[in-house]
Amino acid sequence: MTDLFANLWLGFSVAAHPYNIGFCLLGALVGTLVGVLPGIGTVATVAMLLPITFGLPPVGALIMLAGIYYGAQYGGSTTSVLVNIPGEATSVVTCLDGHQMARQGRAGAALSIAAIGSFFAGCVATVLVAALGGPLTSVALLFGPAEYFSLMVLGLIFAVVLAKGSVLKAIAMILTGLLLSMIGSDLETGAGRMTFDLPELSDGIGFANVAMGVFGFAEIIRNLEMSQESRDIVQSKIKGLMPTRQDLIDASGAIARGTILGSLLGILPGGGAVVSSFAAYTFEKRISKHPERFGRGAIEGVAAPESANNAAAQTSFIPLLTLGIPPNAVMALMVGAMTIHGIIPGPQVMTKQPELFWGMIASMWIGNLMLVIINLPLVGVWVSLLRVPYRLLYPSIIVFCCIGIYSINNSPTDVIIAAVFGLFGYWLTKHEFEPAPLVLAFVLGPLMEENLRRAMLIARGDATVFLTRPISAGLIFVALVLLAIATLPMIRKRRDEVFVE
Amino acid sequence: MPDDAKAPPHGGGFQFKVRGPRDFYGGLVLIALAILAILASGDLPGQAGFAFGPGTAPRMFATLLAIVGALVALTGLFKDGPPIEKYAFKGPAYVVGAIILFALLIRGASLEYIGIPLSLPALGLVPSTFIAFMVSILGSSEMRWVESLLAAVGMTIFCVVLFVYLLGLPFQLWPWT
Repeated sequence: MTDLFANLWLGFSVAAHPYNIGFCLLGALVGTLVGVLPGIGTVATVAMLLPITFGLPPVGALIMLAGIYYGAQYGGSTTSVLVNIPGEATSVVTCLDGHQMARQGRAGAALSIAAIGSFFAGCVATVLVAALGGPLTSVALLFGPAEYFSLMVLGLIFAVVLAKGSVLKAIAMILTGLLLSMIGSDLETGAGRMTFDLPELSDGIGFANVAMGVFGFAEIIRNLEMSQESRDIVQSKIKGLMPTRQDLIDASGAIARGTILGSLLGILPGGGAVVSSFAAYTFEKRISKHPERFGRGAIEGVAAPESANNAAAQTSFIPLLTLGIPPNAVMALMVGAMTIHGIIPGPQVMTKQPELFWGMIASMWIGNLMLVIINLPLVGVWVSLLRVPYRLLYPSIIVFCCIGIYSINNSPTDVIIAAVFGLFGYWLTKHEFEPAPLVLAFVLGPLMEENLRRAMLIARGDATVFLTRPISAGLIFVALVLLAIATLPMIRKRRDEVFVE
Repeated sequence: MPDDAKAPPHGGGFQFKVRGPRDFYGGLVLIALAILAILASGDLPGQAGFAFGPGTAPRMFATLLAIVGALVALTGLFKDGPPIEKYAFKGPAYVVGAIILFALLIRGASLEYIGIPLSLPALGLVPSTFIAFMVSILGSSEMRWVESLLAAVGMTIFCVVLFVYLLGLPFQLWPWT
């Protein structure tokens, strides 16, 4: 216990450095700024802003990225409430009651309860991450290549189960992502693989190019197709920012339950934040004495999912920081950022770079505080940002992304590769393939292949090693059970309902 | 890639009708990708003793992709699904055009190896950003000239200030610098 406090103290002394507070504030601010823009989700926001953190020192860069992540998520909630356009999947349910509250002139209360709920959830989750980080790291020491491989299989299966639509298509996306990640030089022999003799491909395809193409550019192309008249901005004055006493009392239970649900679901690999907000909303509706109020502006319907997605956003750092395995696409981006700074995510981060590990955890709390401080006064600014017509917005995003990608390696080829992936992403949406599993697999690919090869070599070519080592067998078993559950017709139907709702 | 989808929704002269064209053609393209990957990794050495060679994993995953792609295509053949949405042409063309133009102009490029005897000069960040902004805005049907030019100038200034002055990244700003 004393360790925990000593560690947190170390973390806060790093995070409270004026520079790092500055990075955190800046990150939360730009994150919200971009996250507010409709049609740009959390992943796209983080992908777009990734390059601007490259010039910073590693600790500062990661703190800023974490800030961007929370900011983007909060920005998504703001658009949900004000214009009924969820900025991303995690705030889809926030639309239901949040926008109704806004129509009743209670947008201020909805936004502040979202911020307060998020902040409370953030506090709890920070302590949880700090407390679980240590023990889980020691579990990681029991892991050999076979266990790592099986764990990543489990993570990818989670992504499959949680993706909307067909399970088969999500698996296809995983395999495509794995294949794409193998382009470039072979890790062991250095042989160029699937490079088509192009020198530009010999280093492989950069992760930022894929992410920005598939999420950023593809989304813009897609948005250009849709008519922009469907926007329904709340023009009425936002009266009264603060929630009333009654609001706080009504929401407190929902915030607590949302936090618990979100924290638990966030630890699981595979995109906890989305499920947790759905789960929290459904749970609140089920236990409410007046379920008919939901969908008509019930404050619990905003408080619960917002607390849950924020808690999950934070606890999803646990698998990344302790095992080095990104549980979702945003965390995959964080891995990309860490590698660029020369940090290999995993259990050794905590022992070798304690100031980075604990600094990041402390900055989560500070990041949440920043969100409350900056967002409540700035609601008016975000609303006016939404009035910028899309025809001016999207060229700005395009040039911003182009410069960002180019600046990573000073490579024009990277920019062209991102454009190709933009078209590919556009094609994927036309055929209802989800890009998120592809990106997750793309990041996990090299790690997976390395561990697979190592495990096979150690086991002298015996593939049953994944089933004879107990931890590995357990992980594979859980993965198979999940897959079976997802394909069972009854559960599939309910899963579809959740996503339709 | 969009061309694949423009194929007729009926399975040629067969008596089968493609019920879910999104899945059917989606699956076919995945199979094509998998075959491409198998061909591209065909020259790599495979399993040697207990050790995987560089070619083992790509061929393994490509084969799996081909199988899953076939299953997706089969689903499309037998299960009803929505028709393929129309592909827009104008939006994607201008967006992708703007991105590629940016890539070619920022450092200059020779187009000779794709058969065009033309060599583009290195324009630097300021003109490339401005040009990319203007080209991409043409993709919108609601474009207005004055407003667009002002926004392009504003965005160029913003990017230069952010990337060059605040983040200190090394960029060539103008063609002559």
